[in-house]
Amino acid sequence: MGQTRITVDGSRCGNATGGIDPRTCSVCLRVCDPAVFLRHGALGAEQPDPRDPEYWQVTAVWLSLCTRCGKCVEACPEKAIRVSW
Amino acid sequence: MNAHNYSNELAEEMNLEAYLTEQWMNFEQVYIRRIMGVSSVGLGYKLKMPIIGRVLRASAEDMIHSEAHGRNPVRADGHFGQVIPLEEAKYILLNLAAEPIIMNYCMCRMMQRGVKDACCINFGVLSSVIEKLPRFIPENTKVRMGREEAAQAAEEQSRKGRVATVWFQPVPYINALCFCEVPQCGGLRLRTDFGLNSVYKAEYVAEIDPDLCQGCNACLVACQFGAIRYSPTLKRVLVDQSKCFGCGLCRDRCRFDALGLVPREDVPGLINAY
Repeated sequence: MGQTRITVDGSRCGNATGGIDPRTCSVCLRVCDPAVFLRHGALGAEQPDPRDPEYWQVTAVWLSLCTRCGKCVEACPEKAIRVSW
Repeated sequence: MNAHNYSNELAEEMNLEAYLTEQWMNFEQVYIRRIMGVSSVGLGYKLKMPIIGRVLRASAEDMIHSEAHGRNPVRADGHFGQVIPLEEAKYILLNLAAEPIIMNYCMCRMMQRGVKDACCINFGVLSSVIEKLPRFIPENTKVRMGREEAAQAAEEQSRKGRVATVWFQPVPYINALCFCEVPQCGGLRLRTDFGLNSVYKAEYVAEIDPDLCQGCNACLVACQFGAIRYSPTLKRVLVDQSKCFGCGLCRDRCRFDALGLVPREDVPGLINAY
């Protein structure tokens, strides 16, 4: 099996840019059985401000554990997630 | 269990308050931050690369177990743990943990599930560091706990089906007792999914008494490590001791006293298999 790529479009995810705040949404984090996604403070923003959604984003980190079920793509209210292989 | 490893004196000696503050302010970035040009994104693929994968594994192990001076607080330097059965978790909370003892939101579940779940018990200097970071502090509940209260909380977490783990942060200072779940515990998953020694198995391993097991499968639900299966032929459960982490959750679910914990060292094939 080849490698899986998952991209989360930061211009859709996150209400600083018009999408839903990843801290209150987090649907992808919960729908994924192997817990591939990670919600984290943006790099470069030392001491991310917990009140400022601009500093929070979602990244698919544990790509090798993705089973390609497609649930995250379906569940994302902003259609920000792409899975390919 | 060495009481000195839990003490505030050790934390002071190691000058850890500033270190832990820096670490906890930025902890959610630990997996995406590039360490020597490599982040954890796609870690499973990276570890499988020829040569590079082996170098990466060795440097990750070095980092996790680092006792070097000049450890970097924005990485998980010297941060590893061990699974322990509930009774040992309680012993630590009642006797060894430095005060103040607090219960805060689990960092891993916040990162990996977006869920705020108060279940991590921290103590000593780390408690006072976390108390200053509002995103980890539960609202409308008491954060600081007495020893008895903390031991009760540990029991409750164990009843929910969570595995008790105790952590160096950084080695040799011990300041956290977590109640973990696979796969959403960042520390456990490095071991279960990627084979890194971020967490060691307990000093014990589960053993089944075939005569007492009734095949009710209550234990099966509790095992986070896939070490138990049911055999329709034998009408009892089978324990794969090589997969068992020795947390004792199965034992606590067994109504027939069929499951117990034995010292890992007493099983010939498991000596030093932590």
